[in-house]
Amino acid sequence: MARRAVLIFAAAVLAAIGLLPLLVMFLQSVTVDGHLSLVAYKDVLTSRTQWVLLKHSLVLSSLTALLATVVGMFLGILLAKTDLPFRRFFAVLFTVPLLVPPYITAVSWSLLLGREGFLARFLSSSAAEVTSGLLFDLSGCVLVLFSTFLPVVMLLTMTFLKTINPRLEEAGKLTSGWLGVLKGITVPLILPGVLLASILVFLLTLGEFGVPAFLRYDVFPVETFTQFAAFYDFGAATAAAVPLAVITFLVLVVERIFLRKKTYEVKLASAGDGPLVIRLGRIRSRCLVFVCALCFFIVILPVLVLVLQSMSFDAYVQAITRGGDSLLGSLLYAVVGASALSVLGFLCGYLIHTKALSFWQSLDSMTIFLFALPSTLIGIGLVLLWNRPSTNFIYATPVIIIFGYIARYTVLTSRITASALTQIPPSMEEAARIAGARWFRRTALIVAPLARRGLLAGWLVGYIFCLRDTGISMMVYPPGHDTFPVRIFTLMANGSADFIAALCVIMIVAALLPLGLLVILFKSRRFV
Amino acid sequence: MKQVIRTLFIIVLAAAMWVAGCRKDGPSGAGEVVVYVSEDQVFSEPILKDFESQTGIKVKAVYDTEETKSTGVMMRLISEKNNPLADVFWANEPIRAEALKQKGIAAPYKSPNALEIPDIHKDPEYYWTGFSARARVFVVNKKAENKPNSILAYTDPRWKGKGVIANPLFGTTTVEIAALFTLWGDARAKAFMEDMKKNDVGISTSNGESTDFVASGQYEFSLVDSDDAVSRIRQGKSIEMVYPDQGENDSGCLIVPNAVVLINGARHPDNARKLIDYLLSKETERKLAFADCAQIPLHPGVETPSEVKPIEEIKAMNINYGQVAGKMEEIQQYLKQWVGY
Repeated sequence: MARRAVLIFAAAVLAAIGLLPLLVMFLQSVTVDGHLSLVAYKDVLTSRTQWVLLKHSLVLSSLTALLATVVGMFLGILLAKTDLPFRRFFAVLFTVPLLVPPYITAVSWSLLLGREGFLARFLSSSAAEVTSGLLFDLSGCVLVLFSTFLPVVMLLTMTFLKTINPRLEEAGKLTSGWLGVLKGITVPLILPGVLLASILVFLLTLGEFGVPAFLRYDVFPVETFTQFAAFYDFGAATAAAVPLAVITFLVLVVERIFLRKKTYEVKLASAGDGPLVIRLGRIRSRCLVFVCALCFFIVILPVLVLVLQSMSFDAYVQAITRGGDSLLGSLLYAVVGASALSVLGFLCGYLIHTKALSFWQSLDSMTIFLFALPSTLIGIGLVLLWNRPSTNFIYATPVIIIFGYIARYTVLTSRITASALTQIPPSMEEAARIAGARWFRRTALIVAPLARRGLLAGWLVGYIFCLRDTGISMMVYPPGHDTFPVRIFTLMANGSADFIAALCVIMIVAALLPLGLLVILFKSRRFV
Repeated sequence: MKQVIRTLFIIVLAAAMWVAGCRKDGPSGAGEVVVYVSEDQVFSEPILKDFESQTGIKVKAVYDTEETKSTGVMMRLISEKNNPLADVFWANEPIRAEALKQKGIAAPYKSPNALEIPDIHKDPEYYWTGFSARARVFVVNKKAENKPNSILAYTDPRWKGKGVIANPLFGTTTVEIAALFTLWGDARAKAFMEDMKKNDVGISTSNGESTDFVASGQYEFSLVDSDDAVSRIRQGKSIEMVYPDQGENDSGCLIVPNAVVLINGARHPDNARKLIDYLLSKETERKLAFADCAQIPLHPGVETPSEVKPIEEIKAMNINYGQVAGKMEEIQQYLKQWVGY
């Protein structure tokens, strides 16, 4: 009974924080002066520009997802299944772009390829025009978002490779070489996970606002924001966002039908069955060169450009002076946000894992739907719902930012929890239940401690995503409580390049600290 | 493990208490003022910090971003009409201030520091007051053979395909177009717009981008804000600044002052008035003139750097900002069609 009440409460909290604002938005979009009206939708559907923007969004998302899937799967197999040197080191390095706000990567590339960037110093002005033109267009957006979301495919490929029973591959090896085993056994087995990653990349790109806005490539989320910000039209903004919401919903329906049963929980192969390693032999050095080159191009080069651009003591002094308070605020919001996400994610993940309530699938879909929606849309919904005198304790304080984090990122902690719980034999909790332990006691003393690695990983992932969030924070932050990524965004207008680069470097360091902590903690025996 | 969990718990608890504690320092507290700012943070924040250190009044600000076309805080002000968190709005042009007046979000305040500011730059009922202006000027590539000196160059075949203008749906370009509609009348202004199209005028996303296009030689000239021009000239770009339509029979160039507004229902009205007085002071205008935004003081006799022409030496377009604000709303649909939305 207690379990049921707590889980229903958790689901209700998530629905109130995530879904209710969207519902309020939708109602406002179909109402004009208190009467039902679909005029906002009519305008959207009859405008040619909207369809062009939708095409832009779909092309950008498809190209990014395709590129990230092909390269990410290849990279995941190389790093998880072969004898390539420095595999863990590369896996950590390739994850870096995912940890920083994508627009920082875009800033870095603009410092390198822009009309007056580093490269322009060595090129003719017409060549610099070409590089700048390529960056400030679809190709630039694909480059930045590909490098940002590549780790999603790479990490999920690596994770799903661990679920393969090595005996299947051993059997395949009896009649075929590694290429045949990969083609006939390994890849088909991990394909659902790779496709899930691909869908995630597609949806995340579809909802991305900052990079296309910075690189001046008109896509649908930018249009939503424009309708809201430039024309102050809530109804039009919601209507403009509806096609994206519909696409997101349809993609998730497809994912549910074809993939969900195979991917919603990841059960690792038992510890005794070590994965079979592919000996690369003669191509080992070539693979290493490829991985080094890719790593340099999409990870090290952008960071290096920022570091070189910010090579001035004054820039860092100015960055700390003008951004220090918001950095501190961001760190604290990320800590609180990650903790709230951990608690709510644990309960949701538990509900999804145990299927304790009949609506577990709906809850799972809701968390993914909220994650995939454009953050600007969630931001507008939060403003509409909580902006009233009676709820100023939420709207006028950083609580509104935490609500935004919960709405958007609960899926991360709930999925990680669900996967962590899968690794725990159900007999443990069963035994405690038979011995008379109540649910709270069983959860606190058996389930949570056994899932501690997963919970800690969930907390850190939540922390990183809260810290790097720009879209929601920018829309809802209360006066005097802007976050560090937002501060960088607002200072970017007419701020000097070295000052902005210094802010970006500080942001990267702040985002990477928990990754270092994660590596140290997971190496520590006390956490095994 | 237990120790780590305990430490994490303490950190989270402390952080949660801090977040919750923010409410006490929030908009209902004393000794603070909440200001929404659409002027670039790089330029406005130092002024607000100076106010903070001189008065001891804590300034809580919400700034706009370039990506929101400097209209994000305006959206907030409108959506917070019945629940105002802001005390003051520092707008980077007066049309939004005028819109706030028309929507009942602004409150009147006659600042003693605004007495010397010319009436054309103030609302007659004191719902907003202008200060530190930008001029709408041409940036012209130094290599251009023909240097335009009138806005009509956009429709002159001599400059076919050589001019660029920022998207007229946003920012000061919208103000400029709306001003032309009030000055010339709808028929002539629409003809001008259509002729611009026929003359292959390029459309950029912002004045900054237009300036960069001209500096790189991609276009020969563009109508931009004077701060965009001055900042690029200071960076050594190959452009020069031309004040358009300065002849005896010409209409003059558009002057776009900042505007400060007291918000109706402000929770800290006294502090809000102190901040408004501070922003309207000669000292603030001097600081903004010497900053990289190089804005033109509206008070007579304020010291300026050499690149900033004193307001007395500029022939300004004679417009009524209230009318321009009304016209802006009226022509929005037309502009959307013109751009292709």
